[in-house]
Amino acid sequence: MSENLRVIRFAIIVCLICSLMVSAAAVGLRDRQEANLLLDKRKNILKAVGLLTPGMTEATVNETYDDSIVGLVINPDGSVVEGRDPADVDPEKEPDLMFVYERVDDGNVTAYTIPVSGKGLWSTLYGYLALDADLNTVKGLTFYQHGETPGLGGEIEKPWFQENFVGKKILGEDGSLRSVSVVKGSAADKYHDPRELEHYVDGISGATITSKGVTALLHKDLEMYEPYFSKLRSSGGKA
Amino acid sequence: MSTTTAPTTTPKKSGGLFSLDKKSRKILGDPLSENNPITVQILGICSALAVTVQMRTAVVMSLAVITVVTCSNVVISLLRNHIPAQIRIIVQLSVIASLVIVADQVLRAFMYDVSRQLSVFVGLIITNCILMGRAEAFAMANPPGKAALDGLGNGLGYGIILCTVAFGRELFGSGSIFGVKVVPQFLYDMGYVNMGLMVVPPGAFILLGLIIWAQRSMTGYTEDH
Repeated sequence: MSENLRVIRFAIIVCLICSLMVSAAAVGLRDRQEANLLLDKRKNILKAVGLLTPGMTEATVNETYDDSIVGLVINPDGSVVEGRDPADVDPEKEPDLMFVYERVDDGNVTAYTIPVSGKGLWSTLYGYLALDADLNTVKGLTFYQHGETPGLGGEIEKPWFQENFVGKKILGEDGSLRSVSVVKGSAADKYHDPRELEHYVDGISGATITSKGVTALLHKDLEMYEPYFSKLRSSGGKA
Repeated sequence: MSTTTAPTTTPKKSGGLFSLDKKSRKILGDPLSENNPITVQILGICSALAVTVQMRTAVVMSLAVITVVTCSNVVISLLRNHIPAQIRIIVQLSVIASLVIVADQVLRAFMYDVSRQLSVFVGLIITNCILMGRAEAFAMANPPGKAALDGLGNGLGYGIILCTVAFGRELFGSGSIFGVKVVPQFLYDMGYVNMGLMVVPPGAFILLGLIIWAQRSMTGYTEDH
């Protein structure tokens, strides 16, 4: 009996010390981790709109972001929620709200960035898609979080893949949403008509499911933001 | 004890990594080649296949494992006379798991980019058999100093193989080392292509197999059945 008590006492002490250690690390490092997450988010928004240059420090990233990026909160019907900032919205409490990050140069909006996310093969992919001021041409696409196989699906975070999207069009000739799709293999081999080619990019070999996931998430998220974007298009920039 | 028979060049001194006595050197040096955890004991293969696409991830992973296995060996060695035999495995596991979580948190705070690439594999250090193996086989029966050396040696032994595999995979798979292009452009122009096989896990299997073969033929190690 006393032997059992000794075992239980030892187990409790070990558990207490271990949990103290783990919570101390988690709480003590939380601020830094959250700062990393925020910085990474800002970097990716800047990257999508073409403002990120290699070797930018934390301070210059934040400065550039504050200078040129305006965050807007959008309702599902496509109207702007006045007086709200994306940073203050908890997506878990208000899952319907959407975010648009505008790049503003001298008072003119030169790019619109939306967060995109969807399933790949192993994981959910998170990224940003930036559109030019015409709300049709892709300015940039980034993926900042995923759990795909490095070297295969993980290639979505590589510049060669993301740069393929630049200059592609999301609208068809009739002005309706067509989005951009990832094909298997080379897009240029499949679509010889340059107007068709505007909607397709090269796939990643060995990562068909991740490629399909990228296609699906772009369609889904562009569809979601279309009410807002079509309002902008018809009013010439003001929703 | 055997100062008269040991014709080593290193005189016996206290302190300093290179003035360890013979026994300590054996504890530290054995896992580097003769008793390497990966190539001889075939432990920790999962992560050796998963994080060796690039040198950078392999180096950080190795550092994480070296730190965790050394610390866990020391902690378990310190506790070895108090751990009740009935619950020793779960106590070892708790110690290792806590250290791994702390290591993961530190990576997330200070090496965010690398920790994102390593993703789940830092957490999976917990299930790496090298750690439990060293805790159970060595730290439970030896004093903290020796346990630390044993942990360091095994961590390094793991790291050396990891980095060797990663070197080959990144060089042949992506034509770069630490993300820096090393295969000159004119080779590509002449028709050289990166080996896609090296980027996927089977490439690691083949490289690892070759390393094991080379290493065993050098040390003369065979498995008896």
